Amino acid sequence: MAIITISRGTMSGGRALAECLSEQLQYPVVAREVIREAASELDVSEEELSRAMERAPRLWSRHTSARRLYITTVQAALAEHVVGGELVYHGRAGQMLLAGLPAVLRVRLTAPISARVRTLMEAERMDADSAEEYIRHVDAARARWVKMMYGEDIEDPALYDLVINLRTLSVSAACDMVTRAIERPDFAITADVKAKLTDFRTACRVRATLASARETRALDLQIEAHGGVVHVSGSAPVLKSGQVGDEIAEIARSVPGVEDVRLMLEWFDPYP
Amino acid sequence: MAIITISRGTLSGGRAVAERLAQKLGYPCVGREILQEAARALGAPEEDLSGTLEAPPSRWARLTEERKRYLLAVQAALAEHCTSGELVYHGLAGQFLLRDVPGVLAVRLIAPLEMRVEALRDAHHRLTLKAAEEFIHNVDEDRRRWVKLMYQADVEDPSLYDLTVNLQSISVETASEIIAAAAAQPQYQVTDGVKHSLEAFARACREKLQQPRES
Repeated sequence: MAIITISRGTMSGGRALAECLSEQLQYPVVAREVIREAASELDVSEEELSRAMERAPRLWSRHTSARRLYITTVQAALAEHVVGGELVYHGRAGQMLLAGLPAVLRVRLTAPISARVRTLMEAERMDADSAEEYIRHVDAARARWVKMMYGEDIEDPALYDLVINLRTLSVSAACDMVTRAIERPDFAITADVKAKLTDFRTACRVRATLASARETRALDLQIEAHGGVVHVSGSAPVLKSGQVGDEIAEIARSVPGVEDVRLMLEWFDPYP
Repeated sequence: MAIITISRGTLSGGRAVAERLAQKLGYPCVGREILQEAARALGAPEEDLSGTLEAPPSRWARLTEERKRYLLAVQAALAEHCTSGELVYHGLAGQFLLRDVPGVLAVRLIAPLEMRVEALRDAHHRLTLKAAEEFIHNVDEDRRRWVKLMYQADVEDPSLYDLTVNLQSISVETASEIIAAAAAQPQYQVTDGVKHSLEAFARACREKLQQPRES
């Protein structure tokens, strides 16, 4: 049992690997569904959410609440799938949305551009130039997204556990290697791991709820969950009404799975 | 039967993976000792060879010709090991020295800086955190410049390798199992045809080395 994330450029065999793994392991496979679920939660269309997330960084101020809302909602949607401990995820940014979680194997597939162009030409009856242009365009959009959301370079091998180059290795070889890896104890879903996955889901739910509530959406808060107890840290303004702490606690407590809320906030004066 | 090259940063745990992999497959495991063999073939002391090959960048310009010859000797020694069709090589520049050889599985092993710093400080207790970080950074930087100069490539470019394994959450045992699974793929099997090209490669390396030095 393990959670496998697959990152890849377009036409690099990511979908084929996901299908091969799901067949061998009988795990559920999730990709765009996460965006769809997040979009429906946010009450925007899937296209709108995708487009907003691909927008160039300069069109976003770095820490807008809208950006926070989108990312936390997408992450919360993914967290619901992760909690069972068996998943193949080949949608966006899995390696970062699930950063720090145990039992996650982060795979990146690469392939020479010539092979990818050929794949696309065959699939869509395109000529070589438009196929290459399309691939570079999609790659750039994905790279931009990761850069904007996480400040990371999508091709940095340090973000992954395994980078498999399909120049010589086949998809079925990749499938075989990943299967062998997750059978090892390094990736076992123990009771402890299971508890961490549940905590992760709780924290994600709280984060997304706070990012969407009118009273708290402007706040940059860090959330951690330990067995139903949620710790909220970060800084919050001392308002004349003096209610922000109570509101955070109340909103967090309304989230399923939360039993208690502990605030560890640093207060600042918004009217200096 | 397969030939596997492992490229790794200093203190990244790569040696342990190479040794475990070789043990698992029953292959010989060759690392730095390739320099001794190369030195013997040239009739030069090993210190000359390693000193020249690993000289700091400031001394490179003066040593270019000599370094090329030494590298040729390393390549020839490595080529000899390849002819048996079974090898785990974790020494210098395997992915480049065997670039034109068919069926070689090129692996890169990486590890987060914190892990490497810890490994270094475990071995040298009196090293400060800062000194350890600096040491690793400097070794990496020298290596990067060396590869850039000799092969016009970036040692960390994942497209140079068939497989990159990050030892952050993958254990030595698991890493060697993954690499063994890759090496078992048909495209890395040393068939009779491949064996012939390995022997031809070794012969060509030997001949190149025996050519009189250009002056």
